[in-house]
Amino acid sequence: MSQSASTAATTRLSSVRQLKGRWWVTALFSLFLAVAAWMLLNLIIGGQCQGECVVGTLAQTLRVATPIAFAAFCGVLCERSGVVDIGIEGKMLMAAMVAYAVNLFAFQALKGSMGEQAAGDLSRWLAVILGALSAVILAALHAVVSIEFKTNQIITGTVVNILALGLTGFLYRQFLAENLPAGPGTFPIFNVPVLSQIPVIGPIFFQQKPLTYMMLISALLIHYVLFYTPWGLRTRAVGEHPRAADTLGIGVYRIRYVNVLAGGLIAGLAGVWFTIEGVDVFNPMMTNGLGFIGLAAMIFGKWNPFGALIGALIFGLGTSVTSTVSIFRPDIPSQIPQMLPYLLTIIVLTGVVGRAVPPAADGEPYVK
Amino acid sequence: MKTASGTNRVRLNWSFLSPLLLPFLALVTALLVGALVIWVTSGNLLTVFDAYVGLVRGALFKERGLSESFIAAVPYVFLSLAVAVGFKAGLFNIGVEGQFYIGAISAVWMGQLLPGLPAIIHLPLTLLAGAAGGAVWAAIPGYLKARTGAHEVITTIMLNYVSFRFTELMVSGPLKDPVSTAVQTAPVAHAAEVWLFYDIPARLQDPLNALAVALCAAFIGFVVARALRRRRERKARNAPMVLTVGRANTRRAPTVFGRHSSLSAALITGILTFIFLPLLTRLWWPFTDRYDRLHIGVLFAVAAAIGVWWLLWKTTIGFELRTVGANANAARYAGMNITRNIVLAMAISGGLAGIAGTIEVLGVSICRCLPLFFSSGYGFDSIAISLLANNNPFGILGVSFLFGAMRNGADLMELSSGVSKYIISLIQALILLFVSAPPIIRWLFRIRSERKLIDVSVTGGWGGKA
Repeated sequence: MSQSASTAATTRLSSVRQLKGRWWVTALFSLFLAVAAWMLLNLIIGGQCQGECVVGTLAQTLRVATPIAFAAFCGVLCERSGVVDIGIEGKMLMAAMVAYAVNLFAFQALKGSMGEQAAGDLSRWLAVILGALSAVILAALHAVVSIEFKTNQIITGTVVNILALGLTGFLYRQFLAENLPAGPGTFPIFNVPVLSQIPVIGPIFFQQKPLTYMMLISALLIHYVLFYTPWGLRTRAVGEHPRAADTLGIGVYRIRYVNVLAGGLIAGLAGVWFTIEGVDVFNPMMTNGLGFIGLAAMIFGKWNPFGALIGALIFGLGTSVTSTVSIFRPDIPSQIPQMLPYLLTIIVLTGVVGRAVPPAADGEPYVK
Repeated sequence: MKTASGTNRVRLNWSFLSPLLLPFLALVTALLVGALVIWVTSGNLLTVFDAYVGLVRGALFKERGLSESFIAAVPYVFLSLAVAVGFKAGLFNIGVEGQFYIGAISAVWMGQLLPGLPAIIHLPLTLLAGAAGGAVWAAIPGYLKARTGAHEVITTIMLNYVSFRFTELMVSGPLKDPVSTAVQTAPVAHAAEVWLFYDIPARLQDPLNALAVALCAAFIGFVVARALRRRRERKARNAPMVLTVGRANTRRAPTVFGRHSSLSAALITGILTFIFLPLLTRLWWPFTDRYDRLHIGVLFAVAAAIGVWWLLWKTTIGFELRTVGANANAARYAGMNITRNIVLAMAISGGLAGIAGTIEVLGVSICRCLPLFFSSGYGFDSIAISLLANNNPFGILGVSFLFGAMRNGADLMELSSGVSKYIISLIQALILLFVSAPPIIRWLFRIRSERKLIDVSVTGGWGGKA
């Protein structure tokens, strides 16, 4: 319905500055939201959440936000180059399963030749790498079908989701449902040497597990790549106006391929988080729509990595606050707080919190 | 959606079959890849054979296998029709699973609300409640899409999760059966159940039920007579001038009952059904197996397919929906109300999905109630069905039976070959992949035709371009 809005945005070159201006508005808004959430939380549970509990909830926020943020980064990379990726959820599920399996069986194989400790570490990192790579394979499928064959990207993404659901469901029931060897478990918490001793900041930001740090670093990295390197400039050009980019000699297909594959890698990390950092089990419904919530976080963040991170943190905050509530108030049916993140996603998509303008060529196959 | 348009370079003689060629090849390829997966995972080529034989036996030849396949096909028909209506209006409704749940919960609520009503009122009322629940649930993302540009793919999926939680909440809270020890709702009233074929002779002893059937028969008689009459008129109109001298001849073909032939046909069919069907079913009835769960939802499914076809291709509403789907700007320019059409399309879609949930509760669920874990998993499959059938309602009937049969046969397959039955969902996903990306199939089988296999126009971006 905002035909005029989207076309106007493509011509309005100053829109980038406008977005940057709104950036801090978003950050302040989020801070306000966090304080409001805390007050509401205390209202519901009768002022029992002070000090330790607040820090714990915030640390959990960052922890829970990790897969959402990774998913959102995947979306940012893909969509900045003009490829809509609905299939993040499927890639996450695939990566989660592969990582879980690799973690178990690599540990089993390595245990004899080295110590338990070293074998655990090695197999966990192996799981991270192979899990992420399995998502890249699905991303490659999405890339080939939607870039080369120019099918509708939304349908292709759904195909990726359903394919991942079928594949993981089958492999899980066939191989991972019973008679499992004991695995090395999830990553232990890694305390950053000096920083983790800082009173409040330390426990929140620097007593986390490795993938959470990787998430924070990749936010910086993606922001740098997108806005301060030639590659990022080309990516954004391809996403806004592929024809013009092509005329300038930029390989539209190549840019899109690389971005979709890199996005797949990041979506893979989001999936790996579930089984290598979250909990030490796999079940076929594990990702629970977090990939889609990631997309909503991306839209909330106006296709910017930091904005997406803030969006993910808001969702994480919602999740961790509701889990704190359910600890103190077991009489509230757990389904009501569980609905909230999804409703929040819908509200974000309707643009109540600021209208977002997607890259102009988002979702449109480029025909040379 | 821009596509490389081209001409038919290959002209097949059996051109009426050519729309079926690519879906068929997609199916075969998916089965072959599935075979490969089974072979690799089991390490034994014979297992592949065992699995597929078990699948066919389970789907068709085991005791009550065929009935069960039909039962599994019913929700597929409704849900894929729902997806197809969405596609035709340019909307990708992935939320049919959630609408299915909401339909089921609304139907359960209505089904136990008014005990003592006769089936002639209660069953339609319950179906209507299910449809209304699904329709309202789906209209929300439709409205959001039309008004704010929130993409329906994400909003409907989010509403899926909300509806799962909502159903859990209802089943474990307000609607929980106080008598039962299991967490489930109270069963619906006997009059609200979808009839089993086995039960029909007993049900028809009640004259009100016989009246209901007679009304349905009368309606069918009316529709058939009207269609035949229209056809005759059309033929008469197109006949050579020599034969159509009089004005009456060109306008109206001579019929037995003159102007009111359709109504008379309806009346006669209805009365005959009312008098003779109860007697006939008492004398002879093919469904005598009391464990056969085949229910009249099968007939509803066929009726729904015909209804959707009629709605989409024979009415103004359908024309508007399809126009909005094909080109929203052209539709707006022609004076069509985009918002109304999008909301309407989603509501129809959700209504169909809601009926699917209703029938599952009223006809299939063993307790005739909604248990806490009412897992279906029909939602995603139905997207594959809809695409495979190219959104054609009659194609959907066929493909739904195929998918229902696969789903039903999977149990025996797992039993006889040890291959997990979830291989079916993998095969179905592969079918979807090959159908949605025809170049893969063309490349595999060296088909040079550039014909588009699926004909959907779904917005590719995030709103704005609705």
